[in-house]
Amino acid sequence: MAAAGAGAVQAQIELQGIERVFHLGDSVVHALAGVDVRIEAGEYISVMGPSGSGKSTLLNVLGLLDRPDAGHYRLEGRDVTTLSADEQARVRSHRIGFVFQSFHLVPRLTAAENIALPMVLAGLPPRERELRVRQALAGFGLADRAGHRPDELSGGQRQRVAIARATVMRPAMLLADEPTGNLDRATGDEVVRLLEQLNAAGVTLLVVTHDAALGARARRCLRMEDGAICRDERQQGAAHALG
Amino acid sequence: MIAADALRFAWRSVSSQRMRSLLTLGGIAVGIAAVILLTSIGEGIHRFVLGEFSQFGTHVIGISPGRIAARGGPPSGLPTSVRPLTLDDAQALQRVPGVVGVVPTVWGNAEAAARGRVRRTVVYGVSSGALPVFNMQVAVGQFLPGEGAEEARNFVVLGAKLKNELFGADNALGERVRLGGQSFRVVGVLSPKGQFLGMDLDDTAFVPAARAMEMFNRDGLTEIHLTHAPQASVQAVAAAAEAVLKARHGRADFTIVTQQEMLSTLSNILDVLTMAVAALGSISLLVGAVGIVTIMSIAVAERRAEIGLLLALGARRRTVLRLFLGEAVVLAVLGSLLGVAIGFGLAQLIRLALPALPVSTPLLYVMLAVASSALIGLLAGVLPARRAAHLDPVDALRAE
Amino acid sequence: MRSADLLGFAVGAARGNRLRTALLMLAMAIGVAAVVTLTALGDGARRYVVREFSAIGSNLLIVLPGRTATGGINPGSFVSGTPRDLTVDDAQALLRAPAVQRVAPLTVGTSELSVGGRLREGMVIGATAEFIDVRQLRMAQGRFLPAQDWNRGKQVMVIGAKLRNELFPNEAALGQFVRVGDRRFRVIGVLAPTGSGLGMNTDELAIVPVPLALAMFNTNSLFRILVEARNRDAIEPARRQVSEIIKARHDGEEDVTVITQDAMLATFDRLLGTLTLGVAGIAAISLAVAGILVMNVMLVSVAQRRSEIGLLKALGASNGTIRMAFLAEAALLSAAGALAGYALGLAGAALIRALYPQFPAYPPDWAVLAGLGTALGTGLLFGVLPARNAARLDPVAALARR
Repeated sequence: MAAAGAGAVQAQIELQGIERVFHLGDSVVHALAGVDVRIEAGEYISVMGPSGSGKSTLLNVLGLLDRPDAGHYRLEGRDVTTLSADEQARVRSHRIGFVFQSFHLVPRLTAAENIALPMVLAGLPPRERELRVRQALAGFGLADRAGHRPDELSGGQRQRVAIARATVMRPAMLLADEPTGNLDRATGDEVVRLLEQLNAAGVTLLVVTHDAALGARARRCLRMEDGAICRDERQQGAAHALG
Repeated sequence: MIAADALRFAWRSVSSQRMRSLLTLGGIAVGIAAVILLTSIGEGIHRFVLGEFSQFGTHVIGISPGRIAARGGPPSGLPTSVRPLTLDDAQALQRVPGVVGVVPTVWGNAEAAARGRVRRTVVYGVSSGALPVFNMQVAVGQFLPGEGAEEARNFVVLGAKLKNELFGADNALGERVRLGGQSFRVVGVLSPKGQFLGMDLDDTAFVPAARAMEMFNRDGLTEIHLTHAPQASVQAVAAAAEAVLKARHGRADFTIVTQQEMLSTLSNILDVLTMAVAALGSISLLVGAVGIVTIMSIAVAERRAEIGLLLALGARRRTVLRLFLGEAVVLAVLGSLLGVAIGFGLAQLIRLALPALPVSTPLLYVMLAVASSALIGLLAGVLPARRAAHLDPVDALRAE
Repeated sequence: MRSADLLGFAVGAARGNRLRTALLMLAMAIGVAAVVTLTALGDGARRYVVREFSAIGSNLLIVLPGRTATGGINPGSFVSGTPRDLTVDDAQALLRAPAVQRVAPLTVGTSELSVGGRLREGMVIGATAEFIDVRQLRMAQGRFLPAQDWNRGKQVMVIGAKLRNELFPNEAALGQFVRVGDRRFRVIGVLAPTGSGLGMNTDELAIVPVPLALAMFNTNSLFRILVEARNRDAIEPARRQVSEIIKARHDGEEDVTVITQDAMLATFDRLLGTLTLGVAGIAAISLAVAGILVMNVMLVSVAQRRSEIGLLKALGASNGTIRMAFLAEAALLSAAGALAGYALGLAGAALIRALYPQFPAYPPDWAVLAGLGTALGTGLLFGVLPARNAARLDPVAALARR
C-alpha cells in the first residue's frame, strides 16, 4: 500500500513536531524532541531503539495515553491533540487497541469477561457483547478457556486474551509494547503470527521492541534515539517467511 | 457504561475480596445495627407512653385556672388567687356547641373508712359525665347521677382496688363510706384499669365536685374537662369555650389545652429523645465510614494497573470515578442491610427476653438507615474514587 | 527482639503508609473522643444536679401533705388536698423534736402581681424568716422577711432577681409597693440571682409572710414544711420524730409523707450516673468498629508485606517475634489513636464548659480509663488474627512470589 501523492488519500496517522518533556527533580528530560512521521492505514511498523530513546513515550502519545507538550497529532484527518479527555477516551475506545508486555488482564475476571471489558466500558448492550466475545474466543482458540481466570491460563493464552480484548472493538490500529517480552520463544512466535494476521486483515500495527528479529519482520522500521526518529526505513519484512 | 454493568463490575470487585469486604461492611453493619436497635427501643417507649396516655379518653379538652400552665407542663393544681374556675363556669360551658359533657374536677388525698377499715386514697370530685373523660367503665351499679352540681347528693363511686380493700369480696352497693369526715353512699364500682406511669388508677373514689370542694376546703376547681363530639372541630370547640369563659372572667386568666396538643408535645419530646439516641449510634456509623475510606484507598493503590488499563481501554475518567464510588456504595448498602437484620434480630430478642421493655422497629428508620448508608458510601468513596480517576494512565500501567 | 526495636519496627511500618495510619488513628480517635466528651457532659449534668440539690441545704427533710397506701406518686400527693390541713401550728410543733434544728413552713400558689399598670402572673411563696437559711439563699438588696410570729405577718415582700427586672425595669425596687389581689406589699428585699434552681426558679418568685399567703389563697394548709436536721446523723431520727408529731396532731392519721433530701439526691445521682454510663456504652460501640478496621487493615498489611516477613524469617526471626511485631503495630496504632481521641475529647469538654459555664463538664477518670483501655484492648484483640497470619507464613512461599 504505497503512500499516495499530494492531495490524494490522507495518511491515517500524522505526527508533526511532537515534543514531550518530563521534569524529574531538577533535571529536564526530552523524551520526544520534534518527531515527524506519517503512517498510512494498514502499515506494519516496528519501533526500535535503546532504552530511554522515547519509543514507549511515542507509543503512549500515539495511543492518546499521553499528551504532547508541543506539536500536532492528526488521526484519520482529525487533530486529536486538542481533544478533551473524554473525547480522547472515546477515540481510545473505538479506534485504538493496546497490547502490553505484562498483559494487564484483570485478575478477578474470567477470560470472556476480560475480552468483553472494552465493550462494557463503551456501553454496548449484553446481547451484542456476547456475540462478539464468542466470535473472539473462537477466533483466538480460547473457547474452552472462556470461564477461566488469568491465574489459570498459560502465558500464551493470557496474551491471546489480551489481543482478543484489544481487537474486539475493531480498532483502526494496534499498538503493541514488547508483546513477547514475557513469553518464551515458541509462544512469542505464535503471538507475533496472530498480530500479523490481524495486520493482513487491514489493521495498522505498531510494535515497540528491542528484539532485532521481531523488529526485522515489520515492513517499516523506525529507529529512535534521544527522543527523535533517526532512521525511517522500508524493509523487506519477513511477514510470510515463517511457516 | 450501562448502569447494570457498572453495578456488576462493582459487585465483582467487592466479592473477589471476601474477607476484606466482609470486615468493611461489618463496620457499617455494627453502626446500623446499633442505630436500629436503639431507635427500636425508643420507638417502643414512644408507643408505650402514648398508649398509656390513652387511658384518658379522646376528644377531651382540659381547662385550668391561671396562665402558668400555659408556659408548658400539665396544670400543677397549685392554689391560685387568680380568679378560680367555678361550678358556674362549668355550667356555662355546657352551652358551647359541640360539647357533649362538662366535668368540673377537683382532686385530693383523703382517708376512706368503711367497716372498720381505713385507707388513704385519692378522691376525685367530678360530675356524671366523667366516665368518657377518664376512659372508665362501671362494673357494678352506676356512676354519679346527673344532677345539679350544688345539690349533688353524697354518692360515691369506688375504684376496683379501693372497693376490695374496704369491702373485700362483698357487695359494696348501698354501703356507707366515710371520706374526709363526710359520709357517702356507694352507688357504683368501676372496672379495674391498672397502672399509669406508676399510679394505681384503681385506688380512687369519685364523688360530686361540690362535695369534694367542701372536703378539701377549696373555692375553685382544679380543672374543667370538656368532652366534645368526635366530628366536631377541636379548634372550634376550644375557641368557643375560651370565648365563654373570657366573657365570664373578663380576661383570659385560664389555660385551655386540647388533648391533641398535649399528646403532640409529648410525642415531640419522645421523638427528640429517640433522635438523640440514634445520633449516639451514628458515631459508630461515622467510624464505619472511615473504614470505607481506608479500605477503598488501599484498593485504589493496589489496583493502579487495573485503573491504567481501564483508561487505556477508553474508559472516561468519570466512569472510573463512578466505578469506585459504586464499590463504596455497594459495601455501605450491603453493610446496612446486614445491620438492619442484626438490629432487628436483637430487638426481637430483647422483646422475648424482657417483655417489660417495649420494642418496636420503625419502618421509617429502617429505610432512612439504608438510604443514609448509600449516602455514607458515596461520601466515603469520594476521596479514593477521585484519586483513582485522576491517575496518570502511563504511570499506572508502568507500576507492575 | 528488644522492645525498643519492636516499637521502632512498628513505628517504621506505620510511617511507611501515612494515609492508612492516619485513617486508622482517626477511627480510634473518634470513638475515644466521643466517650470522653459524652461522659464529660453526663457527669457535668450529674454534678450540676447534685450541687444544686446541696445548695438547697443539706440535712434537709421535706414534709408533704398527702399519702397513699399504695405508695407511689399520684396527683393527690403533689397538691395539698386533705381534709386535715397541714398547718402552721403543725410546723411550729415540729420545733419540739430534738433532732430538728430549724423548720421553714412553705405555701405556694399562683397569683397576679401588679405594679402601677404592669400585670404579671407569678408564683407566690408564703414563707418565714427561716426560709432563706434553710434554702441557703442570698440577698442582693435589702433584707429577707423579718423573724416574727408565724401566725402574724407584715405586708412585706421579697422578690427574685428576674421578677425585679420585670416589675421594676427602670427604677429601684426597694420600698415600692406590689399589689396582689386586694393587698399591697412593700418590697423590702431582692434575692441574688441564682440561675435556674431545680423545680422552683427562685429568680421569678415573690415571697411574702406565710399567714398572708394562706389568706390570699384562702386555705389553711401548707404546701410543704422544710425541716433541717441538726446534723447528718440526726436525719433518720428527725424523720421519725416529725412523722410521729404530725400523726399525733392529726388524730393518729398518717396523712403526710416525709422525704429526706438525701434520698432524692441519691435517686438523681444514680439516675444520671446510669444515664452517663449508658451513653458512654453506646459511644463505645464505635471502638469495636474501629477495632474491626484495625483487623482489616492489618490483614491487608500482612498480605502486602509477605516478602518482608519471609525475609525476616529467613534472617532468623521466630514466629513469636513476628507475632509480637505485628501486635505491637496494632497496639501502637490503637494507642496513638486513643490518645489523639483523648485530646479531642478534652477539647470537646472544654467547649461544653465554655458554652455552658454552669455545667462542670469534666470527663470522669473511670470513663477516661475505660475509653483508653477499651481502645487499646480492641486494637490488640483485633490485631491477633493478622499477627497470627503473619507468624504462620511459609517463608519459602513468601519469598518465592516476586
